[in-house]
Amino acid sequence: MQSQPLTIHSWPRAILHLDADAFFASCEQAINPKLKGKPVITGKERGIVAAASYEAKARGIERGMRLFEVKKLCPEAIMLPSDYETYSLFSLRMFEILRRFSPIVEEYSIDEAFVDLTGLRRSFHGPYGLIAQKIQETIETELGLSVSAGLSLTKVLAKIGSKHRKPHGLTLIPGRDIHLHLKSLPVEKVWGIGPNTAAFLNKLGIRTALEFARKDENFIKKYFSKPFRETWDELNGRSVYPVTTESKSDYQSICKSKTFTPPSADKTFVYAQLSKNLENACIKARRYHLAAKRLTLFLRKQDFRDEGLEIRLSSPTAYPSQLFDALRRGFERVWRPGTLYRASGVIMAGLVPERNVQYTLFDNVARIERTARVYGAVDSLSRKYGKHTVMHASSLPTKIQAQHEGERGDTPHRKTNLFKGENRRQRLGVPMMDIEV
Amino acid sequence: MPKPNSINRELRKFLSPLLTGERSFTYNEAVEIREARLRARVNEIARFYDEKGRMPSFSEIGEMAGLRSKNAVSKLVTRLKELKVLEKDEKGRLIPKSLSSPVKVMGTVEAGWPSPAEEELLDTLSLDELLIQNREATFMLKVTGDSMSGAGILPGDMVLVDKHLTAKNGDIIIAEVDGQWTMKYLKKRGDSVALLPANPKYAPIKPKSELRIAGVVTAVIRKYK
Repeated sequence: MQSQPLTIHSWPRAILHLDADAFFASCEQAINPKLKGKPVITGKERGIVAAASYEAKARGIERGMRLFEVKKLCPEAIMLPSDYETYSLFSLRMFEILRRFSPIVEEYSIDEAFVDLTGLRRSFHGPYGLIAQKIQETIETELGLSVSAGLSLTKVLAKIGSKHRKPHGLTLIPGRDIHLHLKSLPVEKVWGIGPNTAAFLNKLGIRTALEFARKDENFIKKYFSKPFRETWDELNGRSVYPVTTESKSDYQSICKSKTFTPPSADKTFVYAQLSKNLENACIKARRYHLAAKRLTLFLRKQDFRDEGLEIRLSSPTAYPSQLFDALRRGFERVWRPGTLYRASGVIMAGLVPERNVQYTLFDNVARIERTARVYGAVDSLSRKYGKHTVMHASSLPTKIQAQHEGERGDTPHRKTNLFKGENRRQRLGVPMMDIEV
Repeated sequence: MPKPNSINRELRKFLSPLLTGERSFTYNEAVEIREARLRARVNEIARFYDEKGRMPSFSEIGEMAGLRSKNAVSKLVTRLKELKVLEKDEKGRLIPKSLSSPVKVMGTVEAGWPSPAEEELLDTLSLDELLIQNREATFMLKVTGDSMSGAGILPGDMVLVDKHLTAKNGDIIIAEVDGQWTMKYLKKRGDSVALLPANPKYAPIKPKSELRIAGVVTAVIRKYK
């Protein structure tokens, strides 16, 4: 009984999960081939490891490690500042390559994607495994990145597959083999099951993913809510979560927060960071033509605990000038002198389309219309000259004091190596190779 | 013989300079002005679409273009449809087709009696499309050395490198030879491979152990201003 497959269908659906290996570090190695095979880490400007190449991981370097620890473990490790612009270009290109194979591509994160390959065996004249292999090879040839992939009947299983062998792994889990893969997989390693649920499952005597999958429907219905029932279905090879292609056009909430190093107890500086968070959140809201009804602000302390509060607005808005009053008052309530803060953030929630905003009797409509024109002008200037060309004065201290200070305050090589016509803000959307020829 | 007051106003514009002998000057100018105005109008519509998320109505187009009559707007819309800038959907509403104004490749102008010539709009290529074939596999590289100066590639230039193409004999490639990165001509004859510079100061390279090709140089770009 234990060795019986969970389902008799081999490939009712074919879903691929692709996960780039050590993405940021791999991008750096792709643009500078001299770094291939070497221990490379990114995140220098933060003082901690953001990403580590597999060679670095082999030396015991982990994400989140401080730089001095890295120097001790591996003195020849190459430490680079983060170059998000280049990483984003690589990410976009990876997704574009995936779209050559199937139109149904879900951009799960900057370095992960789901691709629905169902039905494509016909057009590729080959099995699904071959298509997955071709995808892997194409990304490697054209981008110089190594990715690991998992191919199975459902998203949950595909994710299990991609994690199974890294780096540069390709794991196929057809229907008849699912039980083999779940047999020794701890239940907390399943996507959708966190430590709390895992602890609960353990108490019920369920430790492996297979044990969870083999439970009957009544048991699952009795003890678990809908999301976990869906996970159970997915583990059994019944696809519940489709691969969704829609790009974000609508948001439930917009959060903008930024960490600053070194942490600060300077009230003006921290408020400036918060003010900039608010401007950024509003810029994004305006870009999607949304207005917020609720505003949350928070400050993060060194122990990673957040303190903040939520403000309900009298009418929805995406204009900072209408929100600074509330922001300042909220900030004063939360601020504790003498506390070292490491990050600040703003969440705009209760988002509604801006054209649905109805003004009440108490709103000064003329003033609001004028405000709209002011920010219309600000947005036009941003389009032409770059974001934050015009800022509120309260955010100005952020321009004067660097986001991340110290000798770690490096800028990525790309930003200092400009081509004629490029400037500090605008560069060509093509990754630049770091080779001397 | 058509009566003078039924002659197309535009044709009259060309007749009068013909009489004064300033024909070619005014003709080119008229075409340039018309084209610039059209492009400006397309940009206005593009900006509207970008900001409002929908296409402007006929009256809104009229407002932006400074046209008072609906008829004039209708003529403009027809023109834009011909240029494939926009089109009408099944319900008759305007939808954008291509609102980025690429550089036009002009058709030939008929010599002889100048009818109000229509610019022939051939398929337009943007600079991006001209220079980049395999978008995802194209990278750029800033040149620092002068080993390819004879090929017109100077220090400070940008070269576009395509990782998708298979390097052929005569291609300029970026390669790693025996641990060193270089940009050279690829000379391939059967099994024998050599890397040739385009500068007498440099010697050809015969790879001793490893030759790894990073990509093929497809274009060199140098900006003066």
